[in-house]
Amino acid sequence: MADKRTMTLNLTDQEMSLLEELSARKDVSKTALLRQALRLYQMVEARLSRGEKLFFEDEEKKKAELMVV
Amino acid sequence: MKTRVHIIDNTTGQAVEAEIFDEVTVEHFIETQQEWRPIVLKAARQLAARGSHQLIPQHFHWDWTTKAPELKVLANAFYGIRYDNQLQGLMKIETVGQFCSCRLPEQVDKALVYVDYIEVAPWNLKVLMNALGEKPRYNVIGSRLIEAAVLKSKEEDCKGRIGLHSLPMTESFYIKTCRMTPVGRDPAKQNLLWLEYTPEQAENFLTGAR
Repeated sequence: MADKRTMTLNLTDQEMSLLEELSARKDVSKTALLRQALRLYQMVEARLSRGEKLFFEDEEKKKAELMVV
Repeated sequence: MKTRVHIIDNTTGQAVEAEIFDEVTVEHFIETQQEWRPIVLKAARQLAARGSHQLIPQHFHWDWTTKAPELKVLANAFYGIRYDNQLQGLMKIETVGQFCSCRLPEQVDKALVYVDYIEVAPWNLKVLMNALGEKPRYNVIGSRLIEAAVLKSKEEDCKGRIGLHSLPMTESFYIKTCRMTPVGRDPAKQNLLWLEYTPEQAENFLTGAR
């Protein structure tokens, strides 16, 4: 297991509520969820930087491109 | 991470100490192309010549070197098993991504670790070695890699939950040996069978593996 460093995170009430809701739904700790979010961000960034695009597809197979800033 | 694990030497039937590690590099990918792929292709040709096309492993064309850019992505983790100065197995897992959500009704939407690719050295595969008139050298490599995926899942707070798409030829391994739950065919992934562990099943597998 890699060494870990500690940081303090300041969140608004809404952000904290969202974090609690998502961590409950995913059945992981809030820390684990934030680590996943960070990795997901890196993965998306890496693929976009290679010129790939990120799409969501609905049930009717309609695609919507997601713009990431 | 480097840990000692036991694999079975088929020539003696005895357990031998191998090393499982997660510091996988592009050199390991090159090793699979140089050491594994020629044997896989030679065996596949033998099987094709005998008309046993159904026995040719569906992964015969895999090229790990194409995954080199993925080594830098933190969402991925790679594991290798080394024994006798040779790579005996290799696995890629994802800790976040498209397939990292459970589908089993009792744990639907919960986070899991996804086993994206898992490959055992060709000299450990019975079907390939039989095609070449030889016997497989080492056993339980695949189980040791699944064990590593479960341990990673626990480390990531996924409580042992893992999921994967199985190629048709390996379905029985995951169902009968690993005792994973087959959930259903996935039209989004070549209609491959999706299998999952619950935390309890994962713990049972770890207990059995030890």
